[in-house]
Amino acid sequence: MLIITLYKAVPARTTKIVTVGGVLRREEMDLVMNPFDYKAVEAADYLKRAFGGKVVSLTMGPDFKLKSIASNLFDAPVEGVDESYILSDRRMAGADTWATAYTVSLGVKKIVETHLSAVDELLSLLRSDGSAESFAEKARELYEKNLVPNAVYSTLPTLRGATLAERLLGGEISREEAVRLLEKIRKEVEKFIVIAGIKTSDGETGSTGPQVAEALTGMLGKFIPSVTYVRELEADPEAGNVYVERKLGDYIQKLRVPLPCVITISTDYRPRTPQLKLKKRARLYSYAKKVMDSVVWNADMLGADPQLIGLAGSPTIVGPGIDVGSPPVQKFVGKTLVFSNRVEEFEFNGKKYGPFERLAKADELPQEVLEHLKGRGLVKVFSLEDLVEELFGVRVSVAREH
Amino acid sequence: MQENTEYRDVWVYCEVQDGSLTRPTTEVLAGARKIADKMGMKVVGILVGYNLEKIAREPIYYGADRVIVCDSPLLKSYQAIPYTYVLSDMVVKLKPWAFLFIANEIGRELGARVAYRTMTGLAADCIDLLVEDFVMHTPQGTKVFKDCIAQVRPDFATRIAKIFTPRHRPQMSNIRPGSFTPLPRDENRKGEVVQWNAEIPPEAFAVEVIEERSLPKSTIKLEEAKVIISLGLGVLKDANGNPRNPLEAYRYAEKLAEAVRQRLGVATEIGASRALIYSNIKELEGLVVKDRQVGQTGKTVAPDIYIAAGISGAIQHRVGIMRSKKIVAINTDPQAPIFQIAHYGIVGDLYELLPKLVDLLGGSGG
Repeated sequence: MLIITLYKAVPARTTKIVTVGGVLRREEMDLVMNPFDYKAVEAADYLKRAFGGKVVSLTMGPDFKLKSIASNLFDAPVEGVDESYILSDRRMAGADTWATAYTVSLGVKKIVETHLSAVDELLSLLRSDGSAESFAEKARELYEKNLVPNAVYSTLPTLRGATLAERLLGGEISREEAVRLLEKIRKEVEKFIVIAGIKTSDGETGSTGPQVAEALTGMLGKFIPSVTYVRELEADPEAGNVYVERKLGDYIQKLRVPLPCVITISTDYRPRTPQLKLKKRARLYSYAKKVMDSVVWNADMLGADPQLIGLAGSPTIVGPGIDVGSPPVQKFVGKTLVFSNRVEEFEFNGKKYGPFERLAKADELPQEVLEHLKGRGLVKVFSLEDLVEELFGVRVSVAREH
Repeated sequence: MQENTEYRDVWVYCEVQDGSLTRPTTEVLAGARKIADKMGMKVVGILVGYNLEKIAREPIYYGADRVIVCDSPLLKSYQAIPYTYVLSDMVVKLKPWAFLFIANEIGRELGARVAYRTMTGLAADCIDLLVEDFVMHTPQGTKVFKDCIAQVRPDFATRIAKIFTPRHRPQMSNIRPGSFTPLPRDENRKGEVVQWNAEIPPEAFAVEVIEERSLPKSTIKLEEAKVIISLGLGVLKDANGNPRNPLEAYRYAEKLAEAVRQRLGVATEIGASRALIYSNIKELEGLVVKDRQVGQTGKTVAPDIYIAAGISGAIQHRVGIMRSKKIVAINTDPQAPIFQIAHYGIVGDLYELLPKLVDLLGGSGG
């Protein structure tokens, strides 16, 4: 299986956010991997160990900031990812979820196409008059580039004699048979899966996963399913399906989802233990190695429409921020001065004050007026009893009789 | 660029459960009513599913002027692809000015897909909607977009921002449950119900629903409570810094809740901060559960009275409670940010104050 995990780098500390006009300046902050995306890597890792394939990580953002995060993923959490792709371009900055989904989907498409064209190269060799030797040579080259699985070519001792290249060289299988087997491998690449976290800790929208499915729907010209909040995941790569369980509010949905598809993994997900009987298959469909250098693609390499990426391609615009303000009147128990009873309008030093309701705040009156009221026992410190009265409408003397 | 003037009306994607509209649906209908009235537009309820005949008028009773119903046995179970297909088709043909969803599992996925398909923006997790002019400054000059929706949402976990979709229509958002107060159900409200016939291509049904089963419903209804007493990490220690058994604090909160129920006869619940829930405190196992979480990643609440006991009030928590009519903060630290938005502050120990409050309300105190 070609397993593509999406992840995002988010600000390490919410206290040190750098924004310009509401747009995060990721290049100026300490970044960490979005915590929700670890679940996606766990699920990807499970699929690889259970069914074979390779885990490719894909992200978008300034590459010089992302490379260290990408390299951490090579050994996390179990077998880790095998390859890393970073979409990095100044023109991609300031993207909202629409522009992000568009850009990331172009990345997904390019990763899939790269793998498909490797298989196609071999297929065309088989279909032309190329010798078995030249086929094996090409297979070795592509295998070393990590583009074809062990089933095609391998240096693993456990698979000696079992690869397509060796069987073709040894005359065990015909060219037609080899074509059939390669086409099966091609189909597996076509039936890729994209896995993401349910949301990010900075934006929290949860929109990107479904929008990537929608973007791929447009780019590939067929409906691409999205399944969010997946808590259980199984696969049947031979049939090209995954089986998922998701929680939708108060109910659970179990689905059979044809590949390719996009899923987002819930924090409730726990990977299972792969079945031993699948081990051989997993080995055959795995790839040579981890390619530890991140591949960086810019907008031109993706063939992105400059009008649809970054700030330019974002339908939404972040407007001004609002402060979470203080309420107009604040009273502190044991501190705030309030009227102990209703006080009708009165005059003091030629100025009119009031009327005041019982428990109205008196703090803001001029000092001499306060002294005057205090002297007459009309103000007091706001008490817990007063709070109960004001909140619940319960005069405490009444409550005590209860 | 699309010509924006031909886009009209505020659409609400309505969700049905057990034969009635869900509460968040009625909330979003009220939010839609608010902006539609400012714009002189209609509120349109969108119902997609199967066997909707009986419920078709319900959105009207909660404030809609019109309901568009797409009723088909093929749409019995929620599935992203056919539902997206139906809604996108409606949007393209009928051109709504705004389209609102609920910020839950279904609304987030469906809204996101429809927004992408129809090439418009989506503001997620909105807590309020306002109508404002949007002024855009570009190197080419300043442009004013009249009457846009300011989609208010918590942003980057540190502030609240207004999100605008000035150049594209419809303006789409998903709204956090608890953000609006539903209009009272009124069967005398007038409105029309129209049927929508969708021709969905068979390939749209490639995903197979193998099983659907209901989970036991949570009995904790934070969004509907009139009084919420919430606990935070302050339960771990008293004012003198001595460790306390958090279960004791929980029992006080329970007693206070019971006393409030007795005195006021209103729905009262116990809430908790994210910090307390994620601490997985053994003594509170099974009591302080995820369904009690208040705040940006938990539930947005708007009770008449919100009592925050031992909660320092991170911005995520404050955002989740800012619509409460009266906020009472109990905290030993006078600098705790929770006091910034509290109507009533008590600097003190919750282990002393909660039992006192129970006592003052005539309950059996601690």
